[in-house]
Amino acid sequence: MPKQLTLAGIRLQDNATFENFYAKQNQQVFAFLHDLFLSDENYTYLWGNTGAGCSHLLQASCHNAHDLNKQAMYLPLKEFIHLTPDVFENLEIMDLVAIDDIQCVAGKANWEEALFHLFNRLRANKCYLIIGANTPPNSLNILLPDLLSRLTWGITFKLNGLIDDDKVAALCMRATHRGMHMPEEVANYLLRHYSRTTSHLFTALDKLDLASLAQQRKLTIPFVKQVLS
Amino acid sequence: MPNPSVDIDIDFSNPEILSALWEQCLQRLQEELSTQQFNTWIRPLQIEEKQGSIVLLAPNRFVRDWVHDHYLKLIQKIIMQLLSISIDEHEQSNNLAIIIDIGSKKGAYAQPIQQSHSHTASSQEHSRLPQQSAAPMAYNSAKASQQAFQSNLNMNFTFEKFVEGKSNQLGLAAAKQVAIDPGGLNNPLLIYGGVGLGKTHMMHAVGNAILKNKPSAKVLYLHSERFVAEMVKALQTNRMNDFKHFYRQVDALLIDDIQFFAGKDRSQEEFFHTFNALLEGHQQIILTCDRYPKEISGLEERLKSRFGWGLTVAVEPPELETRVAILMSKAEQSQLVLPYEVAFFIAKRIRSNVRELEGALKRVIANANFTGQDVTMEFVKESLKDLLTLQDKLVTVDNIIKTVADYYKIKVSDLLSQRRSRSVARPRQMAMALSKELTNHSLPEIGDAFGGRDHTTVLHAVRKVKELVETTLDVAEDYKNLIRVLTT
Repeated sequence: MPKQLTLAGIRLQDNATFENFYAKQNQQVFAFLHDLFLSDENYTYLWGNTGAGCSHLLQASCHNAHDLNKQAMYLPLKEFIHLTPDVFENLEIMDLVAIDDIQCVAGKANWEEALFHLFNRLRANKCYLIIGANTPPNSLNILLPDLLSRLTWGITFKLNGLIDDDKVAALCMRATHRGMHMPEEVANYLLRHYSRTTSHLFTALDKLDLASLAQQRKLTIPFVKQVLS
Repeated sequence: MPNPSVDIDIDFSNPEILSALWEQCLQRLQEELSTQQFNTWIRPLQIEEKQGSIVLLAPNRFVRDWVHDHYLKLIQKIIMQLLSISIDEHEQSNNLAIIIDIGSKKGAYAQPIQQSHSHTASSQEHSRLPQQSAAPMAYNSAKASQQAFQSNLNMNFTFEKFVEGKSNQLGLAAAKQVAIDPGGLNNPLLIYGGVGLGKTHMMHAVGNAILKNKPSAKVLYLHSERFVAEMVKALQTNRMNDFKHFYRQVDALLIDDIQFFAGKDRSQEEFFHTFNALLEGHQQIILTCDRYPKEISGLEERLKSRFGWGLTVAVEPPELETRVAILMSKAEQSQLVLPYEVAFFIAKRIRSNVRELEGALKRVIANANFTGQDVTMEFVKESLKDLLTLQDKLVTVDNIIKTVADYYKIKVSDLLSQRRSRSVARPRQMAMALSKELTNHSLPEIGDAFGGRDHTTVLHAVRKVKELVETTLDVAEDYKNLIRVLTT
């Protein structure tokens, strides 16, 4: 068994929560989702380019709902496209449904109709709904007009991607949440030498976390080179 | 339902103990599973005790089956570890049985017991009975309590809040007439038109007005999908007589989006009989449809012709003045001071339907609440800039190279070549700097895209352009123009 696996118990959890979301460029949507259950508006649409933090915020909202003793479910549709839309059945019993990557089902008639009916049921039951996508509703190529008009009905937020300085800050923040110290020069090195998308950067952080625990090493540039080479 | 077959001192019927156990189990699962797996499959589960056993409730069959197949053994293992029960890999009968079922602890949505079917961690049988909706059947709840007839009407959808305009005048007049004389001449009333134009609002307004005039009236609103789902459920549970009786005793039946009956023959058949019975009994029927009913394929001819027996009215997209009036009315309801010219600006830009108009206004309200600023023209332009411009163009390195080559009137092949003359080198540096600014590629990746250059070359270009933008007016202008061309 690889030695890292035995360390799962002592790693600090760094799941997608509001606490570890770097919100500098997206203060308003962050504040809105943080107090979602105080809002009269039950439906929110978030969109942004890959790495802007859409999936993170959707999952953080589910996490927050759980802390408030509410039922929530996160549905990343890119994982479901080969299945049937049965997964939507009865979800109106939830307090919050967070549907991610809606662009994956655009143009698929059975999914669009199921989503339309789910939207109506959630609305009738006053359930909160957050939808995440990579484009605004009108650019999704939705075929069912009934669904499209509903998708434009709520508050739509664009998530601003992080600039490089923010990515450095976000990396250092996430490292701190995991109980590691990441010097800025190391974060800068990561950005200069590897893919700068946030998902890649956080995957690298995950690898570094495991390796630094296993080898009892601090995060230095030579160590990063060794682990990620 | 199997009982736990091991001796456990813990009283699962104590909700606090059970909930503490589940919280600990969730913590362990969070460590074992990815965030996504946890948020998708584990978070929606609820725990409860039934006849001494631990029962996990999943919202639907899909989730139940998935959790059963992928996570139930893990959950069982963790709970047994938490309870310090030793696990016998070979004898499942000695292990704690955890049942996974469909339902919710919320009383209103409880699954009727006779319809539930369970899976346990120790059982492998997997029945595939059709999914039962967790929502209570309208006819069930009404039967349980004759007093509490659920109309499903939205109290906010009234005639007072409906903004009248040329586009909906005729429909509104007909709807008001029906509200005064339900079951009279205009029966059925069919409202048709595109999406988001107020058909549902109009329909609810009639229902609310009927109730206002006669509070004891049984007015029932439902979406066609719900009618179909309830009929299927009644068929499965041999309760068609209850179903028929329930729908035929209402004073007004309001069914939304009847185009979704298309292709559902059995539902159409049942609806046809309900329709006839109501019409004979002078009970009002109101229907909405997204197009003229005769144009719906997959709908029986006899239904199409009956829908036209009463009054059919069209709702058109609202003209500019009506859109402005709708915005002003919605803003007032939200206590937002919206200057007329600002409403006019939004109404001019968003033309398609009222939902989109409302969505835009909600965004303005959210921004106003967040910033505390007054709603001015500039404020609205800034608030809606993302909604009003189409999707950001996808910026790729290839696209940047091509755009920069066009801008400086040089060939793409020159830009990628090894030539170092100023006329080619400067645009190349500009393209590299823009690639760093506008894409997520790393410096080595950008170097590769420019004919296999080293990442230090890219870094040098980025620094050089930054310096020139700060010191040279022409370069600053070029940089600004190129950013604009590439991102709008």
